[in-house]
Amino acid sequence: MNGTGFVESASDRMDTIVGTLLLGGVLTSLALIIAGLTWRWLATGHTASVLDETLAGHDVVELVGADLRALGQGAVRPRLLISLGIVALLLTPYLRVLASMLFFAFVEHNWKYTAFTAFVLLVLTYSLVLR
Amino acid sequence: MTLGPLLLLSFVAGLVGALAGMGGGIVLIPALTLAGEDIKRAIAVSTISVIATSSGAASAYVRDHVTNLKVGMFLEMFTIVGAIAGASLTVASSTRPLFILFGLLLLASWTALWVQRNRPWQAPATQDGLSRWLELDGAYDDQASGRHVVYRATRAGIGGPLMFVAGLVAGLLGIGAGALKVLIHDLVMGLPPKVSTTTSNLIIGVTALAGTSVYLAAGMIDAGLAAPVIVGVTIGAFAGTRILLRVSNETVHRVFRWVLFVLGFEMIVRGLRGGG
Repeated sequence: MNGTGFVESASDRMDTIVGTLLLGGVLTSLALIIAGLTWRWLATGHTASVLDETLAGHDVVELVGADLRALGQGAVRPRLLISLGIVALLLTPYLRVLASMLFFAFVEHNWKYTAFTAFVLLVLTYSLVLR
Repeated sequence: MTLGPLLLLSFVAGLVGALAGMGGGIVLIPALTLAGEDIKRAIAVSTISVIATSSGAASAYVRDHVTNLKVGMFLEMFTIVGAIAGASLTVASSTRPLFILFGLLLLASWTALWVQRNRPWQAPATQDGLSRWLELDGAYDDQASGRHVVYRATRAGIGGPLMFVAGLVAGLLGIGAGALKVLIHDLVMGLPPKVSTTTSNLIIGVTALAGTSVYLAAGMIDAGLAAPVIVGVTIGAFAGTRILLRVSNETVHRVFRWVLFVLGFEMIVRGLRGGG
């Protein structure tokens, strides 16, 4: 590859982590949503009118909480799979930023970029949760 | 709409969008409104599907070490704030201006694609102090020419604030606004074309998440609509990108660019007639 010295290989490692996280997140999300839609289709036998439930007024914490409670009660239904798929999708870029921040802080000791990614994380957290 | 047609429509929108060299949202939103969906709901659902399409594409580029993570993470600070502002405007807006703005966006994209020429990339002569302090440089292996390309970005002080505008457009209209981001990377910051497109993909995902959070809080994201759209657009865009790599015929691209023109014209007319 293009590794020339330690600094280069550290950023190569970050590329791998970020790339794998993005791919894993999107594939997990698509798999859950497709499973939910297929199950629903098989169970109801018709495709008319999809679920009428909006994720209204939910912030992500409430959404995750409701999903986890349903999971805990063993109430795995198509709607839960779809909802989990959407949550996985929302968490994908979020976790990407979180992982980059931790990498900048603890591996590269690059405080400038730790601060930048922390700002992005703070704004995302605020807008996803604190409304 | 029922599940089957919705999946098909989203798939085609993702496919045509990718074939025209754009994201999925730019065709998805007009298509959904033509199918009778409310434009604000279409924008909200498109925003969430943008997370999937851009993250999927970005993952491959990042692992090939072409994306510049530092450039991406610096510019994200501006785009997410813009996206939150833009999405908040859409939540508060009536539908008519959204139709007209979206139509203008389509016509602008069509024009941009039309005049776009393959200019050879010229490395900026010098790097200014701020860009150096931000460590905005990098290198990648160009697979086409087999060369190791070393580059330095410049004018971060102008590029950053401009990215706020790109984020604003993305949040407002539910698209990735990749073309606008690439333009800023290319013309203002002097990044090589490959680095600017791949880095733009990375930024789009986080920007779309910021926009989505606003639409989610406003209760505008319907799981029943979002689920098939996410699946359809993502698979369609993936297929479109694959086809695009093989089809290099300029006339094919031209046909899809005209799709943008017709859709843009149609959106403006509907906006002027009352946004129905």
